[in-house]
Amino acid sequence: MAKEKPSPLDIKSYPDHHVITQPNPLRKVLRRVGGDADPDDPVLRAERALAGLSGEFKTWMAVEADRLTAAHAAIVRHGFNDKTCAELFRAAHDIKGDAATFGYPSAAATADSLCRIIEHAPDLDKVPPDLITHHIQAVQAIVHDYTKLDSLTIASELCRRLRKVADDYLLHVNRDRPEHLEAIMAPSIVPGD
Amino acid sequence: MYRIDFNKLRFLLCDDNPHMRRILRTLLHSFGAREAYEAEDGATALEMYTHYVPDIVITDWSMPIFDGLELTQMIRQPESKGNPYAPIIMLTGHSEKRRVTVARDAGVTEFLAKPISAKGLYQRILNVVANPRPFIKTKTYFGPDRRRNTNAAYMGPERRVGGLAEILQQPSLLDKARSPI
Repeated sequence: MAKEKPSPLDIKSYPDHHVITQPNPLRKVLRRVGGDADPDDPVLRAERALAGLSGEFKTWMAVEADRLTAAHAAIVRHGFNDKTCAELFRAAHDIKGDAATFGYPSAAATADSLCRIIEHAPDLDKVPPDLITHHIQAVQAIVHDYTKLDSLTIASELCRRLRKVADDYLLHVNRDRPEHLEAIMAPSIVPGD
Repeated sequence: MYRIDFNKLRFLLCDDNPHMRRILRTLLHSFGAREAYEAEDGATALEMYTHYVPDIVITDWSMPIFDGLELTQMIRQPESKGNPYAPIIMLTGHSEKRRVTVARDAGVTEFLAKPISAKGLYQRILNVVANPRPFIKTKTYFGPDRRRNTNAAYMGPERRVGGLAEILQQPSLLDKARSPI
């Protein structure tokens, strides 16, 4: 597809903007299939392939959790600076995005709570160290104890309580920062676990 | 019902997390894609974008060197020699309304909040293939039309001057990101 010549553009000009329409260069990859039921459903095929990968998810999740712990250890050693803070955020943010896919939704929610602290605390040096440490430990506990039958409820409850403490802290320290308050109180667009 | 011949499409995947790249690759190959190039940072992605001329870009937001937002802004340069019109799907753990708006204003075509699902990814790809939006160029913006709802009565400061812009009836990026698929 990408090797073909670009299609000509239709440009309509107005006083403060142009509307540019390009004949759909990808139209040729669309094909009609008969009926509503497609025996070769690509989404089903992909879901099966994803399920086939799931044997690796526990290992991947442990790698992500260890990366988070290492990022936290660097902060304990060197304090918050641009580099250590960015790595902690990236590690937490990756868990927030990936953990639910790997089957650990509570770890994702806990990492989300940690991301919110990093994003919205006005001064990270003044965040109670235990608040951050408990998030790191919670992710590790969820990842390593998740196979126990009773751990699903415990993980969910642990995550809910941590989020409550983190939110209370963020609401307090941002009481004079309305733009942060709005973001803190806005509902996430990601479905919960 | 329409299906996509994925084997005719060329993808560029950009995510610094190797696990997420593996998942994306698995999903795209299962859909039938054969050409999926991978980059782990924004700078490499931009280089690969120029070299491979992909049909569709799927990018994370947070990445080293420069991020997915900056990558989008660099691709959406109307005077550039490369293709500034390629659909860009932002796949990210950022899930706040403010982020969706920022991504939209950078020129992102579709927004998909993690956790990723096969259905969510497929529908975003189907949408950019089957329903491309016209591009809008103003002094401050170049990218897919951000207006998906008609409001003829709107008289605010962002009203476009002179004529009716082409508007497609589609759910907003935010609504789609919120959908549980």
